Amino acid sequence: FPQGVRQAQWLTKTKLVEGLPPPVLSIIDNPAHQLEDYEEGVKRAISHARFWDTTEVAPRREHYCPVLFEDLIHLCRLMAAKYPSLAKRMLARNYKISATWERESILLQVRGLNGILMNSMAPIPPVASKEEILATEEHALETFYPISPTIDLQEVNVYKELNDTGFRDGYPYAHPHTLFFLESANVRTNRFRPEQLRAKMLMFAFGNALAKAKVLYGNDPKVLEQPIVVQSIGTDGQLFQFMVFQLNTTDLVSSNGIKNLVWIDSDQNLYEKAQCVPEVKKRVVTKPAGIYGFQPDTFKKFLALYLHGTV
Amino acid sequence: MAASRGRRLLWHGRRWFSQTESAAPPPPPQPPDSLYPPIVASATAKSKAAKRRRLEHFNQQVHAAASIEEKLRLYGKLQRPKYMVYPQTFALNADRWYRSFTKTVFVPGLPPRPAPAAARAPAAVAPEAAKAPEGAAPQAAKAPEPATAAPAAAETPKVAGAAPYLDIGQLRSLACDALLQESFYQNKKRPFLYRDQDHTPGPFLTQLVSTLAAFLCGRNPLLAASSLDLKPEVNYYWHHGEEVVVHGHRKGRVDPVRFQIDDNPHLQIRVPKQLPEFVPLESDLGDVPVIDHKPSKLPLFKKQYENKVFIGSKVADPCCYGHTQFHLIPDKLKRERFVRANLEDQIEVVYRANGIASLFAWTAAQAMYQGFWSEADVTRPFVSQAVVTDGKYFAFFCYQLNTLALTAETIQNNPRKNICWGTDSKPLYDVVEDGSVKGFNDEVLLQLVRFLLNRPKEL
Repeated sequence: FPQGVRQAQWLTKTKLVEGLPPPVLSIIDNPAHQLEDYEEGVKRAISHARFWDTTEVAPRREHYCPVLFEDLIHLCRLMAAKYPSLAKRMLARNYKISATWERESILLQVRGLNGILMNSMAPIPPVASKEEILATEEHALETFYPISPTIDLQEVNVYKELNDTGFRDGYPYAHPHTLFFLESANVRTNRFRPEQLRAKMLMFAFGNALAKAKVLYGNDPKVLEQPIVVQSIGTDGQLFQFMVFQLNTTDLVSSNGIKNLVWIDSDQNLYEKAQCVPEVKKRVVTKPAGIYGFQPDTFKKFLALYLHGTV
Repeated sequence: MAASRGRRLLWHGRRWFSQTESAAPPPPPQPPDSLYPPIVASATAKSKAAKRRRLEHFNQQVHAAASIEEKLRLYGKLQRPKYMVYPQTFALNADRWYRSFTKTVFVPGLPPRPAPAAARAPAAVAPEAAKAPEGAAPQAAKAPEPATAAPAAAETPKVAGAAPYLDIGQLRSLACDALLQESFYQNKKRPFLYRDQDHTPGPFLTQLVSTLAAFLCGRNPLLAASSLDLKPEVNYYWHHGEEVVVHGHRKGRVDPVRFQIDDNPHLQIRVPKQLPEFVPLESDLGDVPVIDHKPSKLPLFKKQYENKVFIGSKVADPCCYGHTQFHLIPDKLKRERFVRANLEDQIEVVYRANGIASLFAWTAAQAMYQGFWSEADVTRPFVSQAVVTDGKYFAFFCYQLNTLALTAETIQNNPRKNICWGTDSKPLYDVVEDGSVKGFNDEVLLQLVRFLLNRPKEL
């Protein structure tokens, strides 16, 4: 995805809005949730992932990225004591998604194992108001002529146009809630850069929402009465990308008409630096070991996205 | 080490004299400033007195270590070939051998509960007016009440927050949902060869424990401060007994027998406060088996590598006490394989050996993290729990570590024994077909919930 999010936007017929949507922001700003109590827990989670979890001196990213994610999810899950409806969530690892759609005579599909999905029994209510949805009609999708929108996408011959949510019918936790992406490769070139990570998140969130829409409303392209909302969080152990995607229409062949919406909050650092070993210059400790530049707001957003839909 | 003055002339080559020195009376009162340095055994000679002096020096060094990390580093500094003890092993009757290595008494069944905690039967829909005792410690309400009396639910609204009774139906639905998701609803490829345990039972166990822990954390504040580790590493290194070195340049010397456990539980919960003891420190609940053979007959093999002591995270972590471990039996040790090989009685041995070895390693490592070691024995018992399962059959174990002194010198006058309670493996369900779980066993789930709700009395 060399064009990053712009390319993904064109492919999924989406309009971008910077920042998180108002319902999520209201969860963050609501003092009743007491999100400040979790700062200690978050610091402990970061220290555990970055310093304490291994017998070596400093764990590698392949090790600490998933551990940090597990610890943060554990912290979020413990909030089920306060909000019992949070118990109606289930994590699914290694699940497979496939979704196919046509975009101005190009057949596109999203497939494969991607990340960790959290399902919930109840769908997330639509985030944007009806007016905003109608307003997207006037928005024109960005094209980047002369570069084709499908540049760098793998061209394959498909024999079955599959649309599969990854779960069978009758699954009680029917609605995809949040997708988690962990960029945990050790070597920096194997990891997605933030821009590409955001594009990947958008594509997979769209794929999940589309597969769900086709299951709920059939294969005909149409504008959805009840838009489907899927959230997505991507991280490489330090930098977090938050995204809320709302699928308004499955009519994707033409570039006119109602578009889908996505809210992106990008490049949120949870902490600036985690010093495993004290930095010593000329026998004097210049930087003792510890976490530097801790930002509690990033975890508040993580938690708000987790709580979204039940609060 | 005291040496009486007159023996100096007979120092070299007269080792038998040096032996009597150790039995000599304590040093005569010396003038305050002696012109001569203290007369002690040599530190480098090939003599028993010198060996004792080196051992004493080592013990003093470890005692005087500045920090726990330093202590652990000194404790495991010398690397020599040691037996690798695997908690999950196919060896026959391994649990007897492991009990003798770790000085553990095995008591079938589960430890007596201090107050019948958390086995709150599903109360009737209308909570009855319980004779709620004042001082609403939730456990006191259930204390010696006959089960037929008021449903053991403290209906006091003073119990802040938590719902008074455990809804077994909700727990059952949580467990069934986790099971169905992993085995039925999620579209998965076929399991890889010999990797059946990673395909369904592994994820099921992770899901079950994480959702149950989240559900129960309102009732158990210890869980709210806990740390959940996925596939952590637990290591422990210790000496037990003595042997003569068989071959090599050190042939003929008497060496302690060294053991190392390197364990990878599937899941573990660590907490900042210690669980309460089940029985007092000095209790004697049985006998430790004595095995006359060398450990290598089990079979157990020696290797020399780093001596690690690790509970799952470093010393600096505030959650330094263990709560519960969850172990998954690998494909190699499935029940069907034992049945096919006509070794049905060894199935339970697998579970027991796993429970004993893993829990001993974990509790002993926790004790070392608090500064205790074989020369400085524990002053309070260390308690942890474990659940060993293969996805369908669950076995529950509780371990109380009363002593770390297992080396040849320290075990002589040590009457304490470690205790392990354990159950047999029971199935959680019969079969999963067509999107429903048949034959779900509530007892096993309740026992799991009781384990998760275990907490110190103050909380």
